[in-house]
Amino acid sequence: MLSTDLRNNVLVVRVSERRIDASRAPAFKDEITKCIEAGQNQIVLDLSGVEFIDSSGLGALVSCLKRLGPRGSLAVAGATGAVSRLFTLTRMDKVFTLHPNVDSAVDQLSA
Amino acid sequence: MVASISLSIDSDLDKVSLLARAVRALCEDFLGPDDLDAVELSLVEAINNVIKHGYHGEKGKDVQVAVGLQADRIVIDVIDHALPMAAGVLEQASDDPFTFDETDLAEIPEGGMGLALIHMNMDEVEYVSNESENRLRMVKRIARPGS
Repeated sequence: MLSTDLRNNVLVVRVSERRIDASRAPAFKDEITKCIEAGQNQIVLDLSGVEFIDSSGLGALVSCLKRLGPRGSLAVAGATGAVSRLFTLTRMDKVFTLHPNVDSAVDQLSA
Repeated sequence: MVASISLSIDSDLDKVSLLARAVRALCEDFLGPDDLDAVELSLVEAINNVIKHGYHGEKGKDVQVAVGLQADRIVIDVIDHALPMAAGVLEQASDDPFTFDETDLAEIPEGGMGLALIHMNMDEVEYVSNESENRLRMVKRIARPGS
């Protein structure tokens, strides 16, 4: 479901599922939590391949952000369409920094 | 033009996307992309609630969806046979859970967003429960060009 890549000490997590919904949210949360527990605290989540996210998926993201705590960063890259719309609608665009692509997210987190 | 179609799935979260995509396809000739996203999200949230809270995650129960395509609106009913939602839950959910203080991490919601999202995304929402079934009715009005 996820593939990871370390760039300038920033962990880029690409989601290969097209939908993050209630059936996928628990596994999604577990996989990212493992990365956090392994010591990663600068994370970029690449959602460019994701077409749909529901409130369970969004809740899983918030849970990961809380796990990271105030010293960590979780940025979102490449959200479009229904995914970006849900972030705006729920005001989660104020909670997560949204970037148009992975490069700009990594640049900001590694600066 | 009035047509209606009924679809049903087993109460399995893995099957919700199949039904949601089918209903989205049914609405494609009548709604723009934002409204299609709104309908798909609302339907997914409604069915998730039925499976998670109504049937407590138990598989093998029925979830029915009836889609009515009318001249000026699309009416989507989600019908289940679980214990009904408590009175007032739907109305209370219209209180916006998204008014959190974004600087306070502990305040950001991880759940309890589904019904509020349905209210925000649909034009009318009503819940009727009787001895034989529970029915959540969601209406999306079809925007006319120039109106």
